Amino acid sequence: MFFETINIALRGLSANKLRTFLSMLGIIIGVGAVITIVSIGTGSQQQIISQISNLGSNLININRGFTRGWGGRVSSDANVSFTLEMRDYIQESSPAIKNIIANAQGQGLFIQGENNIRANLVGTEGVYQDINIYQPQEGRFINSRDIEDRANVIVLGAELAQELFEDDNSIGRTVRFNQSNSTFIFTIIGIMEDRERGMMGDFNNQAYIPITTYLDRIANSNEVDGFIAQTYSSNQATEAVNQINYFFEMYAGDSSSVRITSQDQILDTMNDINRSLSLMLGGIAAISLVVGGIGIMNIMLVSVTERTREIGIRKALGAKKKDILVQFLIESLALSGIGGILGVGVGYGGAYLISKIGDWPFIISPPAVIIAFSFSLVIGMFFGIYPAVKAAKLEPVEALSYE
Amino acid sequence: MLEVNELRKVYNSGLIEVEALKGVSFRIDDGEMVAIMGPSGSGKSTMMHLLGCLDHPTSGSYLLDGKDVSGFDDNGLAEIRNKKIGFVFQQFNLLAKTSILHNVEVPLIYAGVGRKKRRKIATDVLTKVGLGHRLDHHPNEISGGQKQRVAVARALVNNPSLILADEPTGNLDSKTGDEIMELFHQLNDQGHTIVLVTHSDEIADHADRTIRLLDGELVKG
Repeated sequence: MFFETINIALRGLSANKLRTFLSMLGIIIGVGAVITIVSIGTGSQQQIISQISNLGSNLININRGFTRGWGGRVSSDANVSFTLEMRDYIQESSPAIKNIIANAQGQGLFIQGENNIRANLVGTEGVYQDINIYQPQEGRFINSRDIEDRANVIVLGAELAQELFEDDNSIGRTVRFNQSNSTFIFTIIGIMEDRERGMMGDFNNQAYIPITTYLDRIANSNEVDGFIAQTYSSNQATEAVNQINYFFEMYAGDSSSVRITSQDQILDTMNDINRSLSLMLGGIAAISLVVGGIGIMNIMLVSVTERTREIGIRKALGAKKKDILVQFLIESLALSGIGGILGVGVGYGGAYLISKIGDWPFIISPPAVIIAFSFSLVIGMFFGIYPAVKAAKLEPVEALSYE
Repeated sequence: MLEVNELRKVYNSGLIEVEALKGVSFRIDDGEMVAIMGPSGSGKSTMMHLLGCLDHPTSGSYLLDGKDVSGFDDNGLAEIRNKKIGFVFQQFNLLAKTSILHNVEVPLIYAGVGRKKRRKIATDVLTKVGLGHRLDHHPNEISGGQKQRVAVARALVNNPSLILADEPTGNLDSKTGDEIMELFHQLNDQGHTIVLVTHSDEIADHADRTIRLLDGELVKG
C-alpha cells in the first residue's frame, strides 16, 4: 500500500517534468549552497592551518602590548624593556621552551647597482632557521660566531636576492642598506630557500643580519622588538605561555603590557573567525532552503487544486483521508528529496570549482551533506503538510463535481 | 439488499436551507435492476450521493447488506464505497495520466490487494468487458464507449453489492449507449444489483422498475 502511494506520487510528478524541476530549484540551490559554503569554510581553514604550521609549529610570540597612554604620552606601565639578555631569563623561566630568539626589524632601502628595493631587515639569531623550518639554498645562515662578532653579514630572502642580483651569484658580494639617511654595507653570506608568504610575514622579501649587529649599528639601542620561543611540543604551548606570563609578573610587576601569543591562539582566533563566517553564510543558504520550501508549497497547492477531480475519483473508489494525505505528502517529500539529491550534486560541483579557484583542498564534510539533505526533507514535509491536508479534507461530492 | 427509511438531506448554505430529500423510503432487493428517475432538482443526485455513501444523510437510515451505514464516519464510508459500491459516472471519471489497467486497479489498491493479484483481477475484469487487448492504453487513446467499459470494469473489480450508474449513457451516442446498457443487462443477469440514476425514460425502460422522485419526495404509483 505504501509503495503504491509512492508510485502514485511519482507518477504525479513525472507527469509535469518542467514544473517539477522548477519547483525543486529553490531546494537544489539551497542544499548546493549549504554544502559549498561549508566546504569553502573547511577548505580555507585547512589552508590557514597548513600556513600556520608551515611557520614552524609550537611557536610563541612575545611582543610589547599596545601601550596604554593618553595625551600623546606613553603610559609608564608599558615600559618593560626587552633586552637581548632577557631571552635567556625567559628560557630559564619555562622548561617547556626548547629555543628562543630575540627579534628586531625595520624597513629600509636595499641598494645594489641600479636596483633599489624597499624591504624588511630582520635582526635575528641562528636558531631562527630551526624555529621557522627555513633553510638557506646557498651559502649559510647566521651563526653564533656572527652574533658574537657583530659581523656585517647578511642573508637574503629568495625573492629579494633575485630582485637585487637577478641571476648572478651574489654570495661574497656586498649590498647596501639605507635607513634614515645612513647607509650600511653588508657582505652576503647566504640566500634563503623559496618560502611561501605566511602569517609571520613575507619570508622571501626580507633579509637577515645578526641581532647584535642590528642593535649596535642600525637600531642604536639595546632593546629588541620581541622574542620568538619554541616549545618542545605543541601541547606544551599553553603551559609555556603561562610560565612566561608569570615571569613578566615577577620581573616587571605586570604582564599586561606584554603580549604573549602562541600559534594555538592564533589558530583558535582564525578558526573562530572562519566558523562564524561559515555559520553566517550557511544561515543565508538555509534561508534559501526555506524559500525553496515555500516554492514547493506553492506548487503543491496548485497541484491540489488542479487535481481536485482526481482526488474526488480516488475518494469515490475508496481512498481514505489518510491515503490522499500520504499521497500528497510523499509528492512534496519526493520533490524536496530529489531536489536535495540534485542539490548535493550541485554542492559537490560548486565546492570543487571554488576550491580550484581559491587554491585550497577540496573537502566535503559528510555532516554538512547529511544535514543539508535532511533539512530539505524536513522542509518538504513541513511545507507539504498544508496542501496535503487541504487535499485530504476535500468532500468527495464537491471534488467529483469540480470542473 | 438495500433499504432507505425516511431519508432526509438538508443543505445548509449560509442563511438558506434547502431540503433536497424530504424523507424518502424504498427498498431494492439483491439482483434487481432499478432506475431512479426525476427531473433536475428532484433530489435524484442527492439520492445517488447518499446511496453511493459519498455523503451523510441529515436523518433517516440507510441499510446496505443489513448494516445501517447512515451513521458511519468518513473512513467508514470510504471503506463501504471501496468494498460494496461500484460507480459508473456520466463523465467516465477515469484517471487520465495512467493506463486503463491501472485505472481498474485503483479500487484494489485502496482495498490493500497485492500487486500480482491486483493485476490479474483487473486484467480478468477488463477482458470480461471486452478490453483485454487495450490494457496499456491511456484513457485518451480509446473511444467513449470503451471508456465507459473501463469505468464499468473498475466498478466491478471489487465485486460490489451495488453498482451505481449515474447517467451512464449521457455522454455516448445511442448505439454505444445501447451497448453499455446491454453490458449492464449481462451484469444484472449474473446477479449484480444495479441502480441507474437517470432522467431519460429510454434508460429507465431497461430497468425492472423505476423509483420516481419529485421535489425531494417519492412519486407514488
